[in-house]
Amino acid sequence: MADLSYSKIGEDARNAAGTQGALMSWLPGRDRLLGIGTIVAFIVIWEVVYRLGLMPVWAFPSPWKVTLAFQEMIMNGKLLTNTAASVGRQITGVLLAAVVGIPAGLALGASPTARAAFLPLCRLLYPIPGIAWIPLSILWFGVGFKSTVFVIFFSGVWSIMFNTMTGVQTLSGQYTDVARVYLAPRSLYTRRILIPGSLPYIITGMRLTYGVGWRVIVGAEMISSITGLGFLIDDARWQLRPDIMICGMITIAMIGWISENWFFDWVERRTIVRWGMTTV
Amino acid sequence: MVIIEGLSKKYTSQGPSVPALVDINLTIKEGEFICLLGPSGCGKSTLLKIVAGLLPATSGKITINDKPINGPGPERAVVFQDYALFPWMTVRDNVEFGLEARNVSKDERRQTSTKLLSVVGLSDFADRFPHHLSGGMKQRVSIARALAVDPSLLLMDEPFGALDAQTRQGLQDELLRIWRDYKKTVIFVTHSIEEAIYLSDRVVVMTARPGRIKQVVTIPEPRPRDMTGLEMNQRQREVRAVLGEEIARAAALEQADMMVGAAHG
Repeated sequence: MADLSYSKIGEDARNAAGTQGALMSWLPGRDRLLGIGTIVAFIVIWEVVYRLGLMPVWAFPSPWKVTLAFQEMIMNGKLLTNTAASVGRQITGVLLAAVVGIPAGLALGASPTARAAFLPLCRLLYPIPGIAWIPLSILWFGVGFKSTVFVIFFSGVWSIMFNTMTGVQTLSGQYTDVARVYLAPRSLYTRRILIPGSLPYIITGMRLTYGVGWRVIVGAEMISSITGLGFLIDDARWQLRPDIMICGMITIAMIGWISENWFFDWVERRTIVRWGMTTV
Repeated sequence: MVIIEGLSKKYTSQGPSVPALVDINLTIKEGEFICLLGPSGCGKSTLLKIVAGLLPATSGKITINDKPINGPGPERAVVFQDYALFPWMTVRDNVEFGLEARNVSKDERRQTSTKLLSVVGLSDFADRFPHHLSGGMKQRVSIARALAVDPSLLLMDEPFGALDAQTRQGLQDELLRIWRDYKKTVIFVTHSIEEAIYLSDRVVVMTARPGRIKQVVTIPEPRPRDMTGLEMNQRQREVRAVLGEEIARAAALEQADMMVGAAHG
């Protein structure tokens, strides 16, 4: 059954995950080898640039020095505490964006009146970069958890809201007809039809929201925080420790990669892939 | 008993109003199997949707057991052409949807769905999702979902139109068996003459757009009907003669539309 639904996806990116993906990682195929090869080549070039002295040594650490920095940061616990701080803010901000954005998107998608009333304002607020909210959020919430969460929320809420709205708008009218024929009350309609029917769009929106949030969190933490990976990177500047900066950057990349590709793929496999809705 | 009186439908959404149905009068007896037959675009599906309460009529009225209809009601259920199953619900949950909407308890729902899934021969597929099913199986689920709410009037909108000939034949027989066992009134939309005369007590032949009732042909032959037999052949010729003119007219109308479209384009 899993195989059947699987063949319908046909996307390399998703082939990397999934039940067969676990096997694939032990027996790398051509594409995977190419991908790994490029990453290895990147590190080799990095090392070569370092050895040739093309960049000043105090500002350009070798891959090995970064590895040592990783060890140091893990041993003294700074990596873990700062990662935990960032992830905590990220999850809070993204959940908040979902809690506000999904119902708002459902309402906007279902009601032309709501769209007429609120879309102009949303379209006006949407292009403001998340970073631009930082000074104001510090004034409102002070330095730390709340202001960072606010910035993540405000940067990310639009993606989930607009995607949910589109999901509702593109939902087949026939599902609504079925709901009417069987006299489904509004709450049942929302819970059993509107939300699951828009799920392909909701998941895409959550992916984007998550991605946007993770990308602004560093900037927000650099300015308005004394913990978190953004702070770790910024703080390393004062210590002239570029190895720690890169260590923080790699951590950000890995956590972003794992959560965006692994978590949301998992959610999709459990829902829309299982339901055969991925062709949407 | 379903009584349709002086029913008309105009579409006014884009520009000038376009008549879709004109002065439809029809009385359907309890337990009768009626087919609406007509060329494509004649408004037969529109008529069904109005009876279902999904579309408002422009004028005229429909009463079911002396009650005028105004929107969908518990005594009616619809089977759609493209199944309209919810892909995110298991087969069982799809069948139970109408009951869930009526706040029927979980145990009772389960009882009903178990019984109906066995009626349509899908007991082994209860926990599957619809996309694992073939077209014929999906339509069986859709029929089971309609039967679950125990409607007195079953409305079917070209339910077998997308199926291959063999599956279609099987489902027609299954439908007749269900109709006999459950004693439902059925209004069945189709564009297939064979299907109409194989299934129905009366065939309502509609004109090309705008849709009017051209003729009502009674099919008195007992079931099961032998489509290769002399009587059925005779019926088929009879209906084909009536419908043939309309199909030609519909084609001419379509061509005229295209000419107008080309002139504007």
